[in-house]
Amino acid sequence: MSFDFLWQGMGVALMPQNLLIGLVGCFLGTIIGCLPAIGPINGIALLLPIAYTSGLPAESALILLAAVYYGAEYGGRISSILLNVPGDAGAVMTAVDGYPMARRGEAAKALAISGISSFYGGMIAVVAMTFLAVPLSLLAIKFGPAEYFVLMVFAFATLGSMVGHEPVKTLLGCVLGLMLTTIGLDATSGAYRFTFDQPELHDGIEFIILVIGLFSISEVLLMLESQVKGTLKPLAVTGSYPSWAEIRHIWWPSVRATAIGFTIGVLPGTGASVASAVSYTTEKRLSDKEGTFGKGDIRGLAAPEAANNAAATGAFVPMLTLGVPGSGTTAVMLGALMLYNIQPGPQLFVEQPKLVGGLIASMYIGNILLLIMNLPMVQLFARMLLMPNWILIPGITALSILGVYTAYSSVMSVLIMFGIGIVGYLLRKLGFDMAPIVLGFVLGKVMEVNFRNALALSGGEFGIFFSSTLSIILWIMAVAIVLVPIWLRRRQAARAAAGQTA
Amino acid sequence: MSDLAQRQRRIGRIAAAVLMAFAVFYGTFGLMIEYSFSSDPIGPRGFPAGLAVALFALGAWYWLVPGSTEEWPEQEGRIAALTFLVVSAACVLAMDWIGFVPAMLVLMTVIARLFGANWTLALVNGAGQALLWWLMFGPLLGGTLPKGPLGF
Repeated sequence: MSFDFLWQGMGVALMPQNLLIGLVGCFLGTIIGCLPAIGPINGIALLLPIAYTSGLPAESALILLAAVYYGAEYGGRISSILLNVPGDAGAVMTAVDGYPMARRGEAAKALAISGISSFYGGMIAVVAMTFLAVPLSLLAIKFGPAEYFVLMVFAFATLGSMVGHEPVKTLLGCVLGLMLTTIGLDATSGAYRFTFDQPELHDGIEFIILVIGLFSISEVLLMLESQVKGTLKPLAVTGSYPSWAEIRHIWWPSVRATAIGFTIGVLPGTGASVASAVSYTTEKRLSDKEGTFGKGDIRGLAAPEAANNAAATGAFVPMLTLGVPGSGTTAVMLGALMLYNIQPGPQLFVEQPKLVGGLIASMYIGNILLLIMNLPMVQLFARMLLMPNWILIPGITALSILGVYTAYSSVMSVLIMFGIGIVGYLLRKLGFDMAPIVLGFVLGKVMEVNFRNALALSGGEFGIFFSSTLSIILWIMAVAIVLVPIWLRRRQAARAAAGQTA
Repeated sequence: MSDLAQRQRRIGRIAAAVLMAFAVFYGTFGLMIEYSFSSDPIGPRGFPAGLAVALFALGAWYWLVPGSTEEWPEQEGRIAALTFLVVSAACVLAMDWIGFVPAMLVLMTVIARLFGANWTLALVNGAGQALLWWLMFGPLLGGTLPKGPLGF
């Protein structure tokens, strides 16, 4: 395959007009990303008609929308780290290690680390997209329901890393998360499950309602408890940036997470939330020797951030090469292409080299712009935590309510969020971790739907789950991710024992 | 076993019993899901039934090994949490009638008070935040927020 499209694209992306459009898109995306109410999909949907009616050429419009998209992936982390309120679905796992860092006064470092790992993830993924877009898209279409199901089994296998000293609580959290996915309309049979004739429940519990309730409202309740006890102190904010050693330390976790994130992003229907969850659990399984993940470990922060940016880039692959959107946001962007009478597909790289090349080249430039733009702003964002609690916490509550209300225009959804917040508070007091609930929720729906679709295709034969090479590779990976760390631990223990006796 | 450990054990067991009761409730309703057609052999009841069994079994495990819990709030803490939740629910429910800004003004003021502001600061904060969020999510971002008799 010739890469002429990339050189032509560089010419397009470096035009002053498109550079400015990319910069504006990155800035708007960062702002959109850190507001939980909006999210990249709504941001793009709002900007699309403006871009079209203002007469922007197709490549400029696509550069603007793409910049908003990956800018939002950068921005989603800000409220996640500072306030424990995930700005978008892909930023949920960022809070697991980012928020504890902010609580101990390292907000600036956490924001910088996440910005740098987002840059790593974004850049590596764009390089992968440049060279592997077409072959990967051909692989993606080999994924049927059985392969998706086994992929979810693999994702659950990585959950083994979340099991702490009370495994029953991790497993219970996971089952509770799975149960929440069964609420609402069952797409396969058309039956309503656990809706109790409430129209608000017909679409099920929305992800954003769950995470804002579990993370933000329960956190406010915990802070209130500390306030009454007199133990809630204003946060210290140190101005330190990460050291070079720390930047090097997150390189390999970011690379691994990018590989996972990009691959998952290429697969239609999975998305950044699955990518960040799987990359976090995988990294914890591989690296958490000291048990520091979940307590503010920079690797636990870097992995999901690199993964969600890589997934956002990966989602462009099936959209451009097959015309199949990899995420909700790329579905809106597909609409943008069609608005300009452009038909996506493998020939797009040949027929529209300026457009595809311009888009890909703008991603290289956009990631650099985002890093340059984000690093100096880190101090500014971190200083937000210096506000007194009587300003900050009403703000968190308002943002939580607005996040749900503006997305669903329903008072009932806000009340459900508070209900989930109460449950989250009780579970946290009981010593439950929130991450397994979120992981169960993220993976559950995809798992059940594909499990049942695969059985429908095979007429009830379970052999379908082992019938393709891809499935078998995924089964082997799932078994390996469970067994290899156990084997390594035993070997290490045996070596240590042998060393002591020698 | 210390008093604290015994108390934690009791709380853990109550939570386990609640989870097991919830598993029975969830499983019973799961088996009552009505459907006329399913293209797969499992149907819409299969997954919930499996999850109910898993939750019950894990609940039983939890009952046997309740583990530790965090310290629970004293009465003052419980009253503060209840105030926050009741006022939040009331303001959210009232938003459609009285409008976004007045509802948020009340809520922001009460939360600021709960977090130590005096009445003057709480009211200034409440009014400022209510207007700021309305401006940002309403006119600026084009969101649809509830309108009361005052128009916002």
